[in-house]
Amino acid sequence: MGLLTNLYNKVAKFFRQQEGAAEDEASKSVATSRLKLVLMQDRTNLTPKILEQMRGELVDLLSKYLEMDKDLLELNFEQEGDQVALMLSIPVIRAKDEDEIEEALSVQRNSEDESVETDDLSDEEEKEEEYIESIDSEDDSEGIGEETEESSSEIDENESNLVSEVNEGKKSKKSSKKNNEEYIESIDT
Amino acid sequence: MTGRVIVITSGKGGVGKTTTSANIGTALAKEGYKVVLIDTDLGLRNLDLLLGLENRIVYTIVDVIEERCKLKQALVKDKKNPNLSLLAAAQTRDKSAVNAEQLKEICEKLKEKNDFVLVDCPAGIEQGFQNAVAGASEAIVVTTPEMSAIRDADRIIGLLNTKEEITSTRLLLNRVRPNLIKNNEMMSVDDVVGILEIPLIGIIPEDTGIITSTNKGEPIVNDENSLAGQAYRNVAKRILGEEVPFLDLDEPKGFMAKIKDVFAKLKAKV
Repeated sequence: MGLLTNLYNKVAKFFRQQEGAAEDEASKSVATSRLKLVLMQDRTNLTPKILEQMRGELVDLLSKYLEMDKDLLELNFEQEGDQVALMLSIPVIRAKDEDEIEEALSVQRNSEDESVETDDLSDEEEKEEEYIESIDSEDDSEGIGEETEESSSEIDENESNLVSEVNEGKKSKKSSKKNNEEYIESIDT
Repeated sequence: MTGRVIVITSGKGGVGKTTTSANIGTALAKEGYKVVLIDTDLGLRNLDLLLGLENRIVYTIVDVIEERCKLKQALVKDKKNPNLSLLAAAQTRDKSAVNAEQLKEICEKLKEKNDFVLVDCPAGIEQGFQNAVAGASEAIVVTTPEMSAIRDADRIIGLLNTKEEITSTRLLLNRVRPNLIKNNEMMSVDDVVGILEIPLIGIIPEDTGIITSTNKGEPIVNDENSLAGQAYRNVAKRILGEEVPFLDLDEPKGFMAKIKDVFAKLKAKV
């Protein structure tokens, strides 16, 4: 009897190992994707936060014109010689028609006007925090890209969010540009 | 004669720079070329050990620079192959004993009388690296399929790209373990090349024979039966411009592996 259970255990273990091998598939791809991200930072001197922000803004910008699979967006810096190229790969589902684009642009214009009116230093800090939260959680229903697709009645509610995004956008552009310049300098020396 | 000066570098330590230098040097010498190996790892010299020449070193690179001997006197001939010689690093000095200009000058002199000058670079990206690279026109970046080694290799590749004198930078992937790659537990050759994006010059399988060959002070390329030795001989041929296919590292499947495959397929169907 003992012999039989022993045998059974061995056979069971054999098949468990087979399953385990399939699960380990993650280990290598985890390494590859972690490495890709860290190299992107190394090559550009951009912090993960700024990279994520840049990615969010790119999605924001592009979704005015295109409907796309945001989850599959790939952002990569490739180094050739002493130059770094930004490679963006994103599956396009369809191009938006003119009305939709016009609508998305008008939302942006409204929010820009709004931002001029409500420009208030004490408020701004709060909004920045809001913005960072919204990019940190991927599935957030207030996610950047989706807003342009929502009906105009809902837009008013989201406007304050958009305002802060636009504000933040200007800042981050400045800071990422500065970082790039730093990087180029470091190469030259 | 104007020889080629190739620096062997990696960024991270312990990935096999020195082993690679010893083996490629020996393999090129076996092909009939005159080769000098320079150990630039001042204070941490090891190339002499891997070649089994540690007892023959009288003068070092620092003695040459400080003019206590002539360059020719400091070159130690290999025991087996008179085509191969070593310029050893000083063990009692640190990296500041030498500067880039001096190393460049030594490389210039050596390439007049040799086909190949291989420079074994120390780990890191500081002065030692700058020195080792100074006289070279080609680079071989050694890495293993591990994240930390690949990250450091990427950094080194970035630095090499800024050097105008370096016209070719190629990748040598060391300590590859095919069975781990097969189970997706290790990054594959394609993964690494895809990330680093430089041409590949060799894939060296993990080989326990490396340990015994180091113990004996005899590079593994001298062992005709070793897979790693074969891989290093192929690297030497590629340096010489021959097109040699990369070794197929997939071991033939055993009986049990085949049975496992059958069950895995059956399971997938269910």
